[in-house]
Amino acid sequence: MSKFLKVATAATLALLIPVASASAEGDAAKGEKVFRKCKACHAVGEGAKNKVGPHLNDIMGRTAGSAEGFKYSKAMVAAGEEGIVWDEESLAAYLEKPKDYIKGNRMSFAGLRKEDDRADVIAYLKTFSEGTESAAAAEPAAGPSQQAAAVSAPADTNMADAPRPTHGVFHLGRQATAEEIAAWDIDIRPDGTGLPKGKGTVTQGEEIFAEACAVCHGDFGEGRDRWPVLAGGQDTLKAERPVKTIGSYWPYLSTVYDYVRRAMPFGDARSLSDDDVYAVTAYLLYLNDVVSDEDFELSSENFTEIHLPNEGNFFMDDREEEAHYAKKDEPCMTDCKPGPAEITMRARVLDVTPEGGDDEQGGGAVD
Amino acid sequence: MSSLSGRKKSIPQLAERTSGVANPSRRQLLTTGLAVGAGAAMAGLQARPAAAAGDPAITEVQDWNRYLGDGVDARPYGTPSQYEEHVVRRNVAWLTADPVSSVNFTPLHELDGIITPNGLCFERHHAGIADVDPAKHRLMIDGLVDTPLVFTMEDLKRFPRENKVYFLECAANSGMEWRGAQLNGCQFTHGMVHCVVYTGVKLRTILEEAGVKTSGKWLLAEGADASAMSRSIPMEKALDDCMVAFKMNGEALRPEQGYPLRLVVPGWEGNMWVKWLRRLEVGDKPWHHREETSKYTDLLANGKARRFTWVMDVKSVITNPSPQAPVTHGRGPLVISGLAWSGNGTVKRVDVSIDGGRNWKTARIDGPSLDKALHRFYLDIDWDGSELLLQSRAMDEHGYVQPTKNELRLARGENSIYHNNGIQTWYVKADGVVENVEVS
Repeated sequence: MSKFLKVATAATLALLIPVASASAEGDAAKGEKVFRKCKACHAVGEGAKNKVGPHLNDIMGRTAGSAEGFKYSKAMVAAGEEGIVWDEESLAAYLEKPKDYIKGNRMSFAGLRKEDDRADVIAYLKTFSEGTESAAAAEPAAGPSQQAAAVSAPADTNMADAPRPTHGVFHLGRQATAEEIAAWDIDIRPDGTGLPKGKGTVTQGEEIFAEACAVCHGDFGEGRDRWPVLAGGQDTLKAERPVKTIGSYWPYLSTVYDYVRRAMPFGDARSLSDDDVYAVTAYLLYLNDVVSDEDFELSSENFTEIHLPNEGNFFMDDREEEAHYAKKDEPCMTDCKPGPAEITMRARVLDVTPEGGDDEQGGGAVD
Repeated sequence: MSSLSGRKKSIPQLAERTSGVANPSRRQLLTTGLAVGAGAAMAGLQARPAAAAGDPAITEVQDWNRYLGDGVDARPYGTPSQYEEHVVRRNVAWLTADPVSSVNFTPLHELDGIITPNGLCFERHHAGIADVDPAKHRLMIDGLVDTPLVFTMEDLKRFPRENKVYFLECAANSGMEWRGAQLNGCQFTHGMVHCVVYTGVKLRTILEEAGVKTSGKWLLAEGADASAMSRSIPMEKALDDCMVAFKMNGEALRPEQGYPLRLVVPGWEGNMWVKWLRRLEVGDKPWHHREETSKYTDLLANGKARRFTWVMDVKSVITNPSPQAPVTHGRGPLVISGLAWSGNGTVKRVDVSIDGGRNWKTARIDGPSLDKALHRFYLDIDWDGSELLLQSRAMDEHGYVQPTKNELRLARGENSIYHNNGIQTWYVKADGVVENVEVS
C-alpha cells in the first residue's frame, strides 16, 4: 500500500471536518482536484514525506525553504532567509508564477493561471495546516511490531502437519494464484502480448497528459528542465546532439504503453486506468506525427498495426567485430607511438564540487 | 562522536593544541577532497624533519592518549572515523533531472583492495530508494513454467546458498567522457562500479523449482519500486551464473542496493541487476522494455543503434594518483594503484604507462583474481618529480585488450553514452596536482 493511498484517505477524512476559513476564499474539495497537478512531486496528509518536492503538511506559516530533510535550491533558502513565510498571500503569488516570484527556484511547474484554482488549492492545503493533532495521530506504527509479525507470519505456511507441495526439487514456496499473477503480470511485448482490453483517443489523451504529465514533460512533450523530451527529434540521430524521443528513437509502441502503465506519472505510478494509458499513448503518437487525426482512437484492436519510424535501426550487439577487439594481438609494450605524448584535451569541468551547486553547467547525461 | 566533541569543548586548551599545528592543513585538504591547494598542504601529511623541539605529534600528549574514548554502547553500528567523513558517495547534480531518478558515485580514490564497503557502493535508482518491508516482500515466478510460484524471504533462505564476489558496473560509467575529458576525479569518471561479496541462491535453483518449459528462452526480471524496473535476460545467462542475493558483504542488502532482494547478473551491465526483485517471468521472446530500447542501447555515428549490449568490457583505471588524490609527497617512492575488471572473466594482466602510452610496464595484481570481480593492481615507481601522463591498460583471460578512447570513437562515434571502457589518462604535474586529460 503506497503512501498515496494514505494521502488520499487522509484528504477525504480532512474534508469531512468543516474548515471555517476555507469556504471564505477557496473550496478545499475543488482544491483537492487541482492538487492532482502537484502530487507527482508533493505529498500532503498523513505520513507525507518529501518527494521530488517538499511535503506540504503545515505549509501555512512555514518559512520558505525550511521543510526538514529537503534539499532546496539556493534561491528558495535565500527566500526564507529574506523572511518569506507561506501564507495565503505569498502562496497565491508563488503559485501564479513560481519562476517569477522566487527566481532560480527549482520547482518545474509553470503555475496556476486561474485565481480560483489557486484559492482552492490553498484552501485544500490549509486543511493540513490547521492543527497538529491530526498530524501527531498520523505517526505510523514503529518498526518493531512489524518485525515481530515478520518472525511469526511465515509459520502458517510451514506447519509440520501441513501438506507439502509437490512442485520442484525443494518443494519451497507455494503456487501463485491467477489473481496474484494478474495483479503483477502487466508487461506488454511488441507483438501485443499482455495488452489489456481498452481504448482511448488523442483528445482524451491530451487532457490526461496536461494534468498528469505536462508538469515534467511539457504540454507538447518538449520536456521541462532536464526531464525527458518525448516528441520531435526526427532526423537527429546522426547529429552531434541527437534528440532521442518516442518518435525519433524508440523502436516499439508497446514500450510506451508498458512503461507509462508501470511507472508513470513519476511519483504516482499505477494511478492511470488502462483506457487512460491508451489515450496518453495515442496523444504521444499524435505529438510525434505518427498519427495526425485528433479523433484517432488507439485500442487493443488496432495497437499492433502501429509501427514507430525507427524500428528498423536497431541491431544485435556486435562489439566483438570492432577492430580493437577482433585483433586480440599481444599489446605493444615499448615505443608504441612516435614522439612524446601531447595533451590534446583537458577536463572541461575542472572542479566537480558537489557543494558547488551550479546547476547550469550542463554537458552530459547519465542515461 | 558527539560525546567526543563535547569533551573537547570542555578542555579548550587541549582542543586548540591538537587542531592547531599538525592537523589543520591535513584537515583542510581532506575535507575539500580536491587537488586545489595540494602543494601547500603537502607538508602536513609527511613526517616532518624534526625541529629543535621535535614533532608536537610526538612531544605533546594527545587527547586520545590521555582521555577515555567511547564505550561499546556508543556505536552499536560502527561508522568510520570522523577523519574519514569526506569519504562519501557524491552526486553531480546537473547530470540528471532530479535526485530521485539519479546516480551518485563511489569514491574509488579513497579505497583499496577489491571490496567496496556497503555504504560507499554507488547508487542508481529510477524512482528513489524503495523502502520495502521484508515481511511483505514476495518473489513471484510466472510465465512459461510448470508451476507458477510465490516465495517469501523465509522460503528463499531455505534454498542452498552460495557466496560470490562480483563487480557491478553501470553501463553509463565513464559515459560523460565520450566527447572528451570532462570530469576531474575517478570518482566521477569511473565511480559507477563497485564490488562486494553476495550471498544468495543460484537463479537456476529457483527457476528449477518452478520448472522452465522448453519454450522458455527469456526471463523478465522486475522490481517492486515505483519504476517497476524491468529487463529481459536470455535464459542461457539466467541458468549460467545469475543469483538471487539477499546479503552483501555479509549483511543484509542496503535499501539503496535493493533490500531485501536483488538479482545478480555477473559481468553484465548494472541496470540488469534488478533491485527490490519481486517477479521473474519466463517467456519465449524478449520484452523490449524501456530500459532496453529507449535507454541502454548504444547509438552509433551512422544513426543505427546496438541493442542488448549486456557485457561490460575489459576496463581499468588508476585510482591513485588521480585528480581527487594528488601526490602529496616529493620525489621518491610512489605507489601507483588502480582497479581492473572484465565482464568476460578474470583480468590476466594490467600494464601501466607513465608517458602517455609510449612505453608500458606490467603492473602487479595483488589480492584475489576472481571471475568478474574487481582486481587491484599496483606499480611501485621511484618518481623523479617530473610530469607524468599515467595510463592503465587491462587485458582479460580471453585476450580482450582495453582499447583507447579514440579507437572507441572511431568505431562508434561519440553518442553511445554507454560502454565507454577506453584508456584513461591522468596528467600528474610536478607539484603533484593531477588533471583529467587526453593525449595524442
